[in-house]
Amino acid sequence: MNEETIIWHLGNMTFHGRTLVMTWMVMAVMLVFMFIGVRRLTSGKPGKMQNILEWVVDFVSKLVTDNGMEMEKARPLLSYLLTLIMFIFFSNLVSVLPNFTFNLFQYFHIDAGQLNKIFEGATLQAPTADINTTLALAILTIILVVGMGIRHKGVHYFHHFIEPFPVFLPIEILDLLAKPMTLAFRLFGNIFAGEVLIKVILMLPGVWVLPGVLPNTIWLGFCVFVAAIQSFVFTVLTTAYISQAVAELH
Amino acid sequence: MGISIDYTIVAQVLSFLVLVWIIAKFAWNPLMKVMEDRRTFIETSLATAEKEKRQAEQIKKEYQEEMRKARQEAQEIIAKATKAGGERAQEVLNQAREEAVKVKSAALVDIQRERDRAVAEVKAQVADLSVTIAEKIIQQKIDLAGQDQLIEQFIQEVGEMQ
Repeated sequence: MNEETIIWHLGNMTFHGRTLVMTWMVMAVMLVFMFIGVRRLTSGKPGKMQNILEWVVDFVSKLVTDNGMEMEKARPLLSYLLTLIMFIFFSNLVSVLPNFTFNLFQYFHIDAGQLNKIFEGATLQAPTADINTTLALAILTIILVVGMGIRHKGVHYFHHFIEPFPVFLPIEILDLLAKPMTLAFRLFGNIFAGEVLIKVILMLPGVWVLPGVLPNTIWLGFCVFVAAIQSFVFTVLTTAYISQAVAELH
Repeated sequence: MGISIDYTIVAQVLSFLVLVWIIAKFAWNPLMKVMEDRRTFIETSLATAEKEKRQAEQIKKEYQEEMRKARQEAQEIIAKATKAGGERAQEVLNQAREEAVKVKSAALVDIQRERDRAVAEVKAQVADLSVTIAEKIIQQKIDLAGQDQLIEQFIQEVGEMQ
């Protein structure tokens, strides 16, 4: 089983090797996916892959405008939000993949970067099943929120921290910190729990593995659903927080 | 695999930012540009179509107006021609009638003249006959015996002349 955390050392810094390898894998897959999508870009009749990407663009654009943000303000963010939703979705899907390396790294004793331990067991670990990934994305979100707020309102952005009374300042700061926290833990919890349950089902002993096939199938299907929902939720909330920060109200 | 936060977070932030940068550069921006192009293209197409439709309607209206005018003109021409034809027919008829009257009167004059001539001729012949009869009578006086015979002969001759 691959419960133990693979630690990479660089100087006195430590990294979660499995998370990073999976992240880069997802990123590579995404790059290939995107490349196929934009290989034959045309403003005429789009191909299948281009159609999918255009659907995603339309989806996220609509999400942004539905949150009450003007398209002009949101345009620089659109690339970020598009990459975000797709990265989270692709990452979440990793947890439903079986270990497609068939433990070959282990078999050939390739232990560079502990690859043999990273690709161990029957399942893969989603990058989003590590709190570091989700927290990193959530921190980027909150940086964007504050950044966009300052960009569109200047110092006036900080006014809402002391409105209606300066007494609310601690609460407002807490609110600002709670936002990325909830984002990070919601996504992490959903995906991590999904993986744990898959592993639990796979741990059924002996002959009980066979009756476990049906629940596992159902659970994998549900995981795909959760993967879509969680990527959607994360992006919607990011958009909502930013649109709150740039809104002309208050 | 527990919840432990370490430098992975930094690596993830950097990785993700690089990913955003690369994908925005080579995929999202061109894609959004293409979508924008299509939007503009459709907009201009629609505008052009609208303009052309309006033009077509204008042309159709003009054409219909012209058609109406042409039809009206044709009506007028036909009416005029009908009227002219009628007048001409009347004229011809009148002429014919006049001619007929003329011919008829000329014929009457001719007939009168012929009759007069015929009467004159008969008169002349009667005169001649009278003279001839007178001659015959005078001859008969000489030959009294054949008087009845003479009259018979005379009558016969007159009958043959008729």
